[in-house]
Amino acid sequence: MRQLLSFLCLSLLSVNVFSAAASAADSDYHEQLNLRPLPQSALLASFNFRSNTTVAEFEKGNFRFFPRSLGQILQHAGTRELHLRFSLGRWDAETWGARPWDGAREGGTGVELWAWLEANTDDEADHKWLTLTNALSGLFCASLNFIDGTRTTRPVVSFQPEGDHASLANMHLLYGVLPHEVVCTENLTPFLKLLPCKGKAGIASLLDGHKLFDASWQSMAIDVRPICPTAGGDCVLQIEQTIDMVLDIDRSKRPRGNPIPRPPSGHDLPCDTSKPYHAHDTCFPADHTANQDWSLSQIFGKPMKGVPSTRSVFVSEGVRETRNPDGLSQCFEIPPSTELEMALPVPEDATLPVTITPETPLLYAERSFTGHGQERGGVQTILRNPSPTTPVDFIYMESLPWFMRIYLHTMSARLSPTPNSTTTTDQTDLIQQVYYRPALDRFRATQLEVRMRVPPAATVVLTYDFEKSILRYTEYPPDANRGFDVAAAVITILDPNQEQQEGGRRIALRTTSLLCSLPTPDFSMPYNVIIFTSTAIALAFGGMFNILVRRFVAADEGPEGGLAVLGKLKGRLKGLKGRLKK
Amino acid sequence: MLKLSLTRAVAYIDRLPLFTRLAIVLAVGAEVLGVLPWWDVRAWGRLEPDEIGLATMYRTNTFPLIHTDVLHLIVNLLAVTPMLERFEAEHGTLTSVALFMGPLSTIPALIYVGIERFLLRANTAIMGASIWGFLLLGVEAIRHSRSTPYLVINGQQTIPTWAVPIALLLVVAVLMPGSSALGHLCGLGVGYAFGLGYIKFLAPPERVLRWIEGKLKLRTWLPYYVSVDQKVYGRPIMMPIIIHGAVASVLQLRRDPRMLKVPPYLSLLCILVGVAWLFLLPLDQYSRRTYISENALLPGQVHTYFGGSDQNVFRAYKHEVDELAGKSNTEVNDKLEPIIKGLGLKTARQNFTYHAAGHTYAGENLYAILQAPRGDATEAIVLVAAWENVKHEINRNGIPLALTLLRYFKRWSLWSKDIILLVTPDSIAGPQAWVDAYHDAHDPARVSSLPLKSGLLQGAIAIDYAQEGRFDSLHIVYDGVNGQLPNLDLINSIVNIAQGQMGIGVALQEMWHHDNGYPDRLRTMLRGMLKQGLGLASGPHSSFIPYHVDAVTLRPFGEGWQDEMAMGRVIEGSFRSLNNLLEHLHQSFFFYLLMQRERFVSIGTYLPSAMLVAANFTIMAIALWVKSGQPREAATPKSKTDTPAAPATAERDLFLPLGVVALIQSLSIIPLYLFNHAPESALTPLFALFTLLSTLLPITLSHLLPPTPSPQQQYHLIQSFSLLLLGMFLSTLATLNFSLAMITGLFAVPLSFLRPVASPAGKIVVGGVLLNLISPSAVLLAAAGYWGLDVTSVLREAAVGWQVCGTYSPVVVWCVWWPAWVAAGVVVLGERKGGKEKEA
Repeated sequence: MRQLLSFLCLSLLSVNVFSAAASAADSDYHEQLNLRPLPQSALLASFNFRSNTTVAEFEKGNFRFFPRSLGQILQHAGTRELHLRFSLGRWDAETWGARPWDGAREGGTGVELWAWLEANTDDEADHKWLTLTNALSGLFCASLNFIDGTRTTRPVVSFQPEGDHASLANMHLLYGVLPHEVVCTENLTPFLKLLPCKGKAGIASLLDGHKLFDASWQSMAIDVRPICPTAGGDCVLQIEQTIDMVLDIDRSKRPRGNPIPRPPSGHDLPCDTSKPYHAHDTCFPADHTANQDWSLSQIFGKPMKGVPSTRSVFVSEGVRETRNPDGLSQCFEIPPSTELEMALPVPEDATLPVTITPETPLLYAERSFTGHGQERGGVQTILRNPSPTTPVDFIYMESLPWFMRIYLHTMSARLSPTPNSTTTTDQTDLIQQVYYRPALDRFRATQLEVRMRVPPAATVVLTYDFEKSILRYTEYPPDANRGFDVAAAVITILDPNQEQQEGGRRIALRTTSLLCSLPTPDFSMPYNVIIFTSTAIALAFGGMFNILVRRFVAADEGPEGGLAVLGKLKGRLKGLKGRLKK
Repeated sequence: MLKLSLTRAVAYIDRLPLFTRLAIVLAVGAEVLGVLPWWDVRAWGRLEPDEIGLATMYRTNTFPLIHTDVLHLIVNLLAVTPMLERFEAEHGTLTSVALFMGPLSTIPALIYVGIERFLLRANTAIMGASIWGFLLLGVEAIRHSRSTPYLVINGQQTIPTWAVPIALLLVVAVLMPGSSALGHLCGLGVGYAFGLGYIKFLAPPERVLRWIEGKLKLRTWLPYYVSVDQKVYGRPIMMPIIIHGAVASVLQLRRDPRMLKVPPYLSLLCILVGVAWLFLLPLDQYSRRTYISENALLPGQVHTYFGGSDQNVFRAYKHEVDELAGKSNTEVNDKLEPIIKGLGLKTARQNFTYHAAGHTYAGENLYAILQAPRGDATEAIVLVAAWENVKHEINRNGIPLALTLLRYFKRWSLWSKDIILLVTPDSIAGPQAWVDAYHDAHDPARVSSLPLKSGLLQGAIAIDYAQEGRFDSLHIVYDGVNGQLPNLDLINSIVNIAQGQMGIGVALQEMWHHDNGYPDRLRTMLRGMLKQGLGLASGPHSSFIPYHVDAVTLRPFGEGWQDEMAMGRVIEGSFRSLNNLLEHLHQSFFFYLLMQRERFVSIGTYLPSAMLVAANFTIMAIALWVKSGQPREAATPKSKTDTPAAPATAERDLFLPLGVVALIQSLSIIPLYLFNHAPESALTPLFALFTLLSTLLPITLSHLLPPTPSPQQQYHLIQSFSLLLLGMFLSTLATLNFSLAMITGLFAVPLSFLRPVASPAGKIVVGGVLLNLISPSAVLLAAAGYWGLDVTSVLREAAVGWQVCGTYSPVVVWCVWWPAWVAAGVVVLGERKGGKEKEA
């Protein structure tokens, strides 16, 4: 490993996204772990692994840090840029604030995949997309092969290529999502295998399935994109692997052998002693107020430990520390072959702030179903702009399954009356632009992209109604009564400064997915009836028909054939007997 | 030609010859003897191969006369009687006796015993007359095949006629469970042999028979005796039932005036069977043991850890809640909200205002969402703790318990569904407002929308724990609004967890002591039906059920040694079970009657009783319609002997009867509106006024009716339409709310038997007294008096149910039952001109 550098950044009071300068010309590899305490004893751990390879070498098949397995799939499927997401849980924006990486490295619950493919026609693109999904399905042990025509859309404005492409003329953007896919360790293992050290060294050694999938929210992302330096020079192909997880410190600190949250003994319980009724058997709990002490090995279950100015941090030797000038974060550069230990004790001065309020996101979005019953329903998305001054422009994208037939004419956006809103924006320009591609039954999904604007300090409710179609008997999944998952809506916030320009800073966020219950037949009933009647009919008919059709004759009247064979056998047996007697 | 008419059927039965009668009587008698507890006729008389010895030879003769049950008897008699009758007519009574009491029973029996004993080495007992049936079929088939040896199908396939009984035998063997194919085959074989004449020698010689006949003079003193000389060589019937004949006979049946005498008895029979059916349900044979249908629930399979220092926390929360007693709703919420926020949950509030019976039911719901640690807000379970229960007691232990549980749940990472804690100020309006708003079915003017939401609700459990101190058992309240019920799996799981895992007893329907005997089961079932029929909300869970969210309320009761932590563990276990659910609860029953915590009947078993009661109205309606179409001359007892040549239907004048029924139906909107919108103070006077007016209404209406040529027909039609509507409404309702349909149906039963009364005294007795005794108002008064309630509170509850929960029982009472009653009143009192005309 030529330039294996591990960075560990711990930011306490502000967001600090560390980025190592990538030398464009060479193959290189960077990794970085960003730890950020969040309110309510949560901890955000962002793992980032990045490596480059020149496009020339990639095309020749010389893979160095770039994983060969993935590289060959990309070459075979003509993929120029790829984004793959595995996510679980939900990001609690109210408590945790803005999303890491501006939401660019996360997906909705389940699996999300979008890619720019080079193809001359749509059909060719579809064909390559099929190749790509099937190959990735095998590589990542996920049901990506189920991303068929009914789950694929071609977003128009929501996604922009991140890499530098010579021309977008022959590029097709395809987007597919599997909201019901449960992300688990079998997806993590292939993910780690793409790394040069396969999770054996560096920060990747902290990644452990038990901890990762016990997190309150986690997202694994793979991004492959070509980058061409503006100054000119060789283009490089960059692969970036990101894992973000929000750990509950209390939960993570539980010993692995005893993960059951038994009630602590009475005297270990932190109590609010100021209550008048406080006694040895009466305790008003004082949770979520105390500072949490933690160390890397406690949280990740493995040794590797690091941190900030206001709280003392104990670090193992040989680690180069860089303090950020603002005093809110510290970075540690870890040389190879060093084991990192880091512990964060409880500060002696309890008045010190543990975390400051996280950065407020530009927009809060919450989506839910309205209505009840099996015939029709509605979707309601509440979009709240917390900023008192700036409006938010964004694109709201839904990719709905075909069995939700939306009524576009019912789509409306209205300002929710909030007590402190004084804006009198005309309600008509909340929706600025709509791109809609209706579904075809059993063939194509609905695609809806809405460009909207939420005025400052306002809440906009976007609603539309839909009708639930009745599926065919065989189209139901085995757990039909669970309902059908509807993929998360993708909201892309456009940079207010560089409106409508490509390459401007875009912030993405996703709503939670939904569970839509369709009219479901009672499967056991038809089966019972069918099985019972067919058995009865088969028995009765079989016996009857046999008697009706067959002619009974005495044995000597019948044709020879079977009986002749029997006779021959008998003769032979007799012959045998005779021989034996002799 | 076979004509299925009543007269012919009666004549046929009249003509049955002696031995056939004897066989029927013996078989029926044996069946009747079967009820004797000290003598098991079946065990005595059946053909049991291993029991056959010299002393038990009688069995080879008795077994055809003994049947396993009534159904078996009926089927066999229906099949055997016609053939036996023909056999006797052909061969004479004496021969039949000699053959059937002798060789024709014994030979197949011995063949059967031989095969069973020596070939199959089994011991299957058989009984029943079907062996005679197949024997006779065999005889018939052989004889028939002499004239037509082959049945030709499609002109190609030919079937030998003699094989048809074999086909029949196979069908019977397949379709009839427990029928002995071997026994039938033995009978059939002997039948073939007899038909072919191989065993004709067994029949006693004619000479001897004649001699006996002559000596005993049997022909003179034995009725229905078929003499040896009388015998006819019969018509071969290989039962080609001629459809044309059947249709014709049905048509003829319709014209038979006697048919009109049947419906009242038929509908009375329906009612009696319906009620008797209901009373059979608690028996072991008709109810079933409960079982867990959804395997994912795994109730009681997890260890529960709630307890220990959580009790310290519980005590602290209880102190906090005790301080809040008597404070206003907002103050309570102001105090509880920071505590819940301190647990790390998101909270929100919701205001609601309902107006019912002149009162305002307003308040503020507080709810909190514990987001599933790894979940995605797609599904949620609700824990409801109302501040006050239905009896307006403060939920002193329930609210601290819910808070402590939420704090405990927060520590687990295994939740796959969000957990919502809902604290409502009362047990009816608050939950209703919240659930309505959750599903966006609320009226924004009265109920505010929810600022915070989660996914689909998969289940809800309400804690009603107002009792202080330790408790003994758990009371599960499960009735929803309008008699809708939660999935039986939910109740079963909780029973399983409480009883099986925690050792806490479970009671239903306020049956604090239940010995699992018939009276207690019946009482539990009837209480359940009454609650279902009233359709009111019985707890905070009731409002959830109409939205297909399965919910129950748990209320601890009694003095015992179970503490709050035990209650908490029951809820923990139930939540763990609900959390396991992959699919929405759908496996088990939604329509059932529970009669003990582990016994129930499902809809398939109990529905017929309500349907029968509803059917009685329809039967009467049809009968009245037919009656109304009969010309008046038909009533005169003349020239009945010759069959009516033409249908001679009187022309029906439909306009007036339809108008009257429609008018009465539309008038029913008035009481519905008045009682649901009047203020409480006005309810009693209004009720008195309404009772008076509705008493007068039938009299007024019957006087206002314009004179028509045929008032009799008119009243028949009015009653017919009214009963038709009633029957239709009730049978539809029975599928939605069985109990309500049953109760209303039973109260309305007299309406189908009321007939126009001609005499003035009769009018006063029937119209003035009897009619008013069965009026909805009188029943309401009587019921209120029986339960010690005043009418005002009953009407207020109904109005609250209507305004808040959408209870539709008032609609059934005022718009289904009351119009039927008024129509019946019109019919009873209306015979004004009709009577005169009739006399004239």
